[in-house]
Amino acid sequence: MLKYLFKRLALTIPTFVALMFVTFVAIRLVPGDPVEVRVGEHGISPERLAYFRHELGLDQPVWKQFLDYAWKILHGDFGTSLRTSQKVLTEFFTLFPATIELSLCAMLLAIALGIPAGVTAAVKRGSWYDQILMSTSVVGYSMPIFWWGLLLQMLFAEGWHLTPTSGRIDPINYYFEPVTGFMTIDALLSDQPGAFLDALRHLILPAVVLGTFPLAVIARMTRSSMLEVLSEDYVRTARAKGLSPLRVVGLHALRNALIPVVTVIGLSVGSLLAGAVLTETIFSWPGVGHWLIESISQRDYPALQGGVMIVSTFVILVNFGVDLLYGVINPRIAHGR
Amino acid sequence: MKFLHRAGPARAGLLGIAVAALVGASTTGSAKTLVYCSEGSPENFTPALNTTNTTFDAARPVFDKLTEFARGTTKVGPGLAESWEVGDDGRTLTFHLRKGVKFHSTKDFKPTRDFNADDVLFSFNRQWKPDNPYFKVSGGRFDYFNDMDMPKILDSIEKKDDYTIVMKLKEPNIPILANLAMDFASIHSAEYADFMLKKGTPEQFDQVPVGTGPFSFVAYQKDSVIRFKANKDYWGEKPLIDDLVFAITPDATARYTKLKTGECHFMIAPRPADLPEMQKDPALKVINQPGLNIAFWAFNTEKPPLGKKEVRQALSMAVDKSAILKDVYLGAGEAAKTLIPSTMWSYNDSIQDYPYDPEKAKAMLKAAGVATPFDIDLWYMPVQRPYNPNGKRIGEMMQADLAKVGVNAKLVTFEWGEYRKRMQDGEHITGETGWTGDNGDPDNFFYLLGCAAARKGGINLSKWCNKDFDALLNKAKTLSDQNARAKLYEEMQVIEHDEAPNFLIAHSIVYEAMRKEVVGFKQSPLGAHEFQGVDLQ
Repeated sequence: MLKYLFKRLALTIPTFVALMFVTFVAIRLVPGDPVEVRVGEHGISPERLAYFRHELGLDQPVWKQFLDYAWKILHGDFGTSLRTSQKVLTEFFTLFPATIELSLCAMLLAIALGIPAGVTAAVKRGSWYDQILMSTSVVGYSMPIFWWGLLLQMLFAEGWHLTPTSGRIDPINYYFEPVTGFMTIDALLSDQPGAFLDALRHLILPAVVLGTFPLAVIARMTRSSMLEVLSEDYVRTARAKGLSPLRVVGLHALRNALIPVVTVIGLSVGSLLAGAVLTETIFSWPGVGHWLIESISQRDYPALQGGVMIVSTFVILVNFGVDLLYGVINPRIAHGR
Repeated sequence: MKFLHRAGPARAGLLGIAVAALVGASTTGSAKTLVYCSEGSPENFTPALNTTNTTFDAARPVFDKLTEFARGTTKVGPGLAESWEVGDDGRTLTFHLRKGVKFHSTKDFKPTRDFNADDVLFSFNRQWKPDNPYFKVSGGRFDYFNDMDMPKILDSIEKKDDYTIVMKLKEPNIPILANLAMDFASIHSAEYADFMLKKGTPEQFDQVPVGTGPFSFVAYQKDSVIRFKANKDYWGEKPLIDDLVFAITPDATARYTKLKTGECHFMIAPRPADLPEMQKDPALKVINQPGLNIAFWAFNTEKPPLGKKEVRQALSMAVDKSAILKDVYLGAGEAAKTLIPSTMWSYNDSIQDYPYDPEKAKAMLKAAGVATPFDIDLWYMPVQRPYNPNGKRIGEMMQADLAKVGVNAKLVTFEWGEYRKRMQDGEHITGETGWTGDNGDPDNFFYLLGCAAARKGGINLSKWCNKDFDALLNKAKTLSDQNARAKLYEEMQVIEHDEAPNFLIAHSIVYEAMRKEVVGFKQSPLGAHEFQGVDLQ
């Protein structure tokens, strides 16, 4: 097991280097210069342009810039944002908890509703419930986030006043400095009456919007995986032994059906973070998504490179964790390694 | 960790949550709080380092300048300088500073003295003198200080005594008084700068601002919220609200929804498509005025046949301006007939705009000896700017109009930085461009047509150099009497109209939307959002 762990970890190193290279090159292929992009109609004199390009090391050959960058990364230095002159890591980890909080809630929602829905649909295969669930999941699967977000905002916030429109907490009534960066936890820690519920109210719509796609995927995957497992001999044997249907489905079938579902959940983390970019924009959610988009438009090379690398590393690690989880769900897989 | 309410036992918190859940809502204070839905996060809180209105708006509550624009106007009046004199040579400005002005305090910093001349020296030297310890801090890009040519204008800034500053100029330049009212000239605390330097965190100086302004900075959470509280010791017009909150909401639709639901009282930049509905909503108030900007189509007078003024006049008559205003600006634009908008002093309203007359245009081209059809390049803007909502669409409409008079316009564009640079180098034949005013002084617009800016790499994009126009431009800079200056600028507009170095398209109209309970807001021609003097009813 330990050998496997090291092997997998070693495999992430070339992925990480490739990622660093691709991000570094891709942003430089986009037309526009980080110094000039900020200049308005006034323009900038060639002397000042040259001075700032030199200060930022942009006058060096690209290969040298890359080596410098890689060396700094090896020393844990992700550089300084060109826009704000703040450390990239500081900026990123100020915003990342908001993205994690949103993504985590969306994923929990998707799992909590998706798995039971998929199991029920498989057990009641062909029933009206199955039909409705499958057609609804297609809708959820193909729903554009932007449209869905605006629709829910119009209905629940603007129309029925059931939830706030956007943001993470009501700024008039609640104010506390962030401790963990997770608004729900910070609200609890603040001891301000009503703050936690207000934070939850702010979280509902974005989490539903972001969770819709993985919910549909998980429900469909659970259903098809369960259908396959339910026709296995060992399930028939379990039934023949007289076990209760709940025990057969819940213990014998579901546990075996979960492997592909867990894979899908792991793979969804990437798309979840991509979806978070849009969701954060619609709901003014101060996460890394909006920050990354701004970094692209402002050609903030260090912020973009650093941000993409940390997010990608996070996705790699989650998938790594998912791989390890296989062994927990099905010990035969762990032994087989 | 700081709370509005000190943390009590966790159980009390849980009980509180339960109670709040039962009553359904909870409030923690009765202070008058105005929530402004802004569009983005500031880069930092030092205006001199930045060029965007987003950052200026976020820092403006905290700072004062030596001179100030009277709220809602471009009229320059006293600020931290109570009064000033211009020497007989026109090159010496003596500023008498206000006494008893207090700087704000922060968690870590408590000022030990009032504002004085050292703070003025520090604020300018930081941007000007490479030996200032803050010259390179936070990137050290003082774009506006350089864009406004301050290093070329200033000869020296000296402290005569604690409350007198003497500014010597290299040549007479009255518009500098307007420059000093701009955000880049905000006055910072030299004592706070020293404090941060000694602490080893000079970059924090730009993150936690300390000024003398009507509001003091409380907290900032990136992409989320900025908080200010009223400065009860303010020397000027006291704020009428207790707290000012910037709720950062990048999406215009979300801002509008928040305005409707009362989650914010004021929003920046409403979408033109939302305006009709907004204007009908009895809970909202929408105001507007032409922005201090201009979109125009520059004719490169160095490229034949555009050197002939008759050709430029003909092209000015070949394009249907009203159609552009209707279809691209969606009504949110004022037809431009001179470089400056009608809200600016010295606007010459007697000028008659060129009519849309394709037949006359054709005849004029023929009379000028230009054989049609002829080919030109028409560069269109690759980005949206405050004065130009859709460069490509405008380009296409102009192209279609020009075809009717026998001019084949080829649409061309580049990445924005490249586009600007090439136009400044005069590579275009014709090209869309524009300008957003910085300080409300007509010189800030007309210098775009000066001979000095017509050089290669200069920002006179029609490369038009008219000696009469230029002489008036330079003379106007030396006069301290505004009426006398206005006369010269009016005269210059007549020359500009006759010579037609540009086809003037529009001044975009800037809309501000707020809830009915917001009173006392004055729309700034400079696009500033100031909440001093604003109240909630």
